Amino acid sequence: MSAPLEELLKMNREEIQSHNERPTADELRNKTQTYYEDVNVGDELPKYIYSPTPTHLFRWSAAIENFHRIHYDLDFGLNHDKNPSILVHGSWKQSVVPQYLKDFTLPKGWPWKAAFEHRAMLVPGDTLIVWAVVTNKYEKGGMGFIEMDLGMKTQDGVESMPGSATVVLPLKDGADIPYPFVPPTD
Amino acid sequence: MTQEAPQDVESVLTPEVKAMIGVAGEVVESWGTVDVEYLRRFTQAVMDPDPRYWDEEFAKSTHYGAIIVPPIMISYMTQRIRPDAEDAITAAFEENPMSDGIGSVKRPGELPEIPTHLVRTLNAGNEIEIYQYPNIGDVIFFQNRYQDIRERVGRDGKPFLIITREITYTNQDKALLCITRQSSIRR
Repeated sequence: MSAPLEELLKMNREEIQSHNERPTADELRNKTQTYYEDVNVGDELPKYIYSPTPTHLFRWSAAIENFHRIHYDLDFGLNHDKNPSILVHGSWKQSVVPQYLKDFTLPKGWPWKAAFEHRAMLVPGDTLIVWAVVTNKYEKGGMGFIEMDLGMKTQDGVESMPGSATVVLPLKDGADIPYPFVPPTD
Repeated sequence: MTQEAPQDVESVLTPEVKAMIGVAGEVVESWGTVDVEYLRRFTQAVMDPDPRYWDEEFAKSTHYGAIIVPPIMISYMTQRIRPDAEDAITAAFEENPMSDGIGSVKRPGELPEIPTHLVRTLNAGNEIEIYQYPNIGDVIFFQNRYQDIRERVGRDGKPFLIITREITYTNQDKALLCITRQSSIRR
């Protein structure tokens, strides 16, 4: 059972880290299906905890060929752009979201869509908590749709990426979710 | 924030700006293909150890039948500097020695500028819709489109624009992979 977000935010960074629920490769390999019927409004999804360092930021910049100096050049960030430090990429944050939804819906659900805004600046040294809470569920076209609020909070409770998502889960006695995914029509 | 500009405030959603809604750029082929090395670097950088990305035998046994690729990964292929293009990094610093590293070099498939005097740009949000995982070897095509442009009035009483740009990603089989949208505030 995931520790409630409210409780996590009362902890220090080390304690928050100890509640990290990011799955290992083997856990993803062997993951059992969460069905539509298993989910209730108000449920909290697992919490993914990150502690980005300058090297993590550099690795991301290199991976996606983002050469913006605010992410790796501390002198430029501090003195030219007047930022508090080098900054965690918005692109990294938004790439974590589909991964988070994919993991929740594996092996046969579908991480359909998400929307979010970028708010607070995040810097190396921050402890980041990816969270989600189920806000609605409904059946349509023989599939189960789960809507949720989600975000990425810092250890101080600052929300840096308020958002929402809709994923699709199979019904226990239902058919597989079609792949490629085709949303049901009205 | 109120929805629309009051009668005594000059609207910034001019006919010329409104005419940009739906304007689409050309369909552009990204440089290169979806390859295992980019997949490895990307999934390590996003810290996703899923064996569906690297264990071929396991991936074949899954619902998807093959190695899968995070759809958002292909969205970054659009910003690759082509080998036959000028060196954008060098050009950026020649233009401005204090460049932020990304400069003002135009990328393929970009949309025409919105004809507005509003110059300050802020990120207003992002969306992603996923329909199919890209596969290794896919050639990626993308197309930009102004999906929506709306006017709002800020707390200071001044109108501003919310511009939503949509990018559609397909592969060589014209399969829809994903759609991303980025909204920005112009004020």
